[in-house]
Amino acid sequence: MADLTLRNIRKSYADFEVLHGIDLDIKSGEFIVFVGPSGCGKSTLLRSIAGLETITSGDLVIDGERMNTVAPSKRGISMVFQSYALYPHMTVYENMAFGLRIAGVSKAEIDERVQKAGEILQLSKYLQRLPKALSGGQRQRVAIGRAIVRNPRVFLFDEPLSNLDAALRVATRIEIAKLKQSMPDVTMIYVTHDQVEAMTLADRIVVFKDGNIEQVGTPLELYKRPANLFVAQFIGSPAMNILEGTVVGKSQGVTHLMLECGAELNVSADRGVLPVGERLSIGIRPENTQIIPAGEHGPVLTGTVDFVEHLGEVQILYVDMVGSAQKYLIKTADDEAYARMDTIRFTARTNDIHLFDAKGRSIAGRILEDHALTHVSRSRFRGDAPGGGGTAQRSAGLRTGALDP
Amino acid sequence: MSVSHQSRETERTDFVAVLAKVCLVAFLISLGVVVLYPLFWMALNGFKTNAEIFGNPFALPGGFSVANYIAAWNQGIRNYIATSVIVTLGSAVCTVLVSAWTAYGLTRSKLPGKPFFVGIVLGGLMLSPTVAVIPLVRMMQDLGLYNTYWALIILYTAFRIPFTTFLIRAYMLGLPRDLDEAAIMDGASEGQIFWKVTLPLCKPILVSCVILHVLFAWNEYLFAMIFTSGADLQTLPVGLTSIMAKHGTNYAVVFAAMTLSALPIVMTFFAAQRFFIRGLAEGIGK
Repeated sequence: MADLTLRNIRKSYADFEVLHGIDLDIKSGEFIVFVGPSGCGKSTLLRSIAGLETITSGDLVIDGERMNTVAPSKRGISMVFQSYALYPHMTVYENMAFGLRIAGVSKAEIDERVQKAGEILQLSKYLQRLPKALSGGQRQRVAIGRAIVRNPRVFLFDEPLSNLDAALRVATRIEIAKLKQSMPDVTMIYVTHDQVEAMTLADRIVVFKDGNIEQVGTPLELYKRPANLFVAQFIGSPAMNILEGTVVGKSQGVTHLMLECGAELNVSADRGVLPVGERLSIGIRPENTQIIPAGEHGPVLTGTVDFVEHLGEVQILYVDMVGSAQKYLIKTADDEAYARMDTIRFTARTNDIHLFDAKGRSIAGRILEDHALTHVSRSRFRGDAPGGGGTAQRSAGLRTGALDP
Repeated sequence: MSVSHQSRETERTDFVAVLAKVCLVAFLISLGVVVLYPLFWMALNGFKTNAEIFGNPFALPGGFSVANYIAAWNQGIRNYIATSVIVTLGSAVCTVLVSAWTAYGLTRSKLPGKPFFVGIVLGGLMLSPTVAVIPLVRMMQDLGLYNTYWALIILYTAFRIPFTTFLIRAYMLGLPRDLDEAAIMDGASEGQIFWKVTLPLCKPILVSCVILHVLFAWNEYLFAMIFTSGADLQTLPVGLTSIMAKHGTNYAVVFAAMTLSALPIVMTFFAAQRFFIRGLAEGIGK
């Protein structure tokens, strides 16, 4: 059982600040995943929690106890490294027993704990082998076993699957998920840049950018209600399409937007939120884009297929939009053939359209912030805020565009 | 016509390649003969009598009698070898341990101004032993270490630390830091990380360093001559000169003594050639 609280955590190397005041509350037993692009500070924060990096300022609190200056081994934390970091000259058994021996645990207890971990991770047959005689997946399990035997309160994983091949990665990911189920009280923090790992493993995902938290939320919250353009484009593969537009007028509860490509968009959002002349970004996910069959009428965008990627089950179309130099990606079932230079018309359901203001904030998020700033500011970072969000997104819809034939 | 021209070209290229290979092999064989023949000749002359050596220096001995070798062994070589073994092994252990600790500090600590300390330690490579002889003699006399094993062990250690540290440091820089961090998470102290994680992982370079040090200490002459005086404390190189002075006319015994003194080091070299070469290559590029 370990609640973990980060309060205004800052980390600097000389004059260069890499973490700019991180606030985060992690509840006991939660599986938290840190994601973000390279250099965003997610691994630095993990290492700071572990004690491998000193915290420049702020508080790291585990179960009410400030841990900033406590030795790594005394924090009740175990860490699984990206490179496994197994001691190559020690057998699997010795690798797992090393920390316990240093801690002065009795031989009998060490043996019991190592054997138990070996059984859980199906390593019993390999306890007397050296790491070099094991496969990548087995080594990863030994690294996890070394962490388990110490009975930690908090488990840290630093991109543990990135050295495995695709098939093994899926298998080990499932093993980690099962491991978490078998240890419901242990808090786990997992760093990855792999969205699939994040979405499938996490209770909550924390998205980082440039040393700041962009959003905290459940995987579906992040996918369906991204707080800003960065999260919208970071979560989901391929990334969300972003179209630029301007509010051009209002009538009868409807706000009219003119897209840069020339199409027109109507949004029935709160008029107070969208003043005339405001520039907006309109986000539509490739998988939420629907191709309109020839002959059907309705609100559409138009473009020419430039390239088709076949992934078996689905295909990804790279479309040159009419009236824009931008590529628009469409993910659709691979049952209909498209070829280069095909002209297609496409649209999206109003529920699947995301709106962002000029600062990149979600309009839904901005409604909440503008009307309940004090209430939202902190809880947003805990990921439990945008509950009422999405009104603007849900009420937006594409109307017949200027380029609609 | 162009086909036959092409085949003639190919034949010529093949011929040049074969010729080059033959020349290279011949050169290497000659080089080997130049290095090995004197040793072989020395060992062979150890089996001859003085008359045979002077009569026909390049002929094979009349019989393979080990009398000269036994004589050389009993006339001091035994003691010289014992002293050399003590001094060489003692200084090898000290050098490697001190250098490994130093390299660990220079690669793992967050010491401010670390490049400066690296410079100081590695700058020792530039120091010539000859210029330090006089102050060292006074120091050893004052410390009461003159004419003891310790004089040589300490001096060999001190003068070999820069080079050995240089090699071990280069190796340690290549060891993954994750292992240190894993040990820190396991609760290991700096000492435990050094002894239980880093040092065992450095085994290949440590072996190389020991071999390079053995080659140096076994053959070192200057310090051994200056800092020891009694016959019971002389190492092989100095002892050999004593034997030569003593048995100046009995070349057969001198050759036997020289062969006996070279034998251990030659055997060590051939047994551990792999580590020796790796040791030399290890300092490159890091």
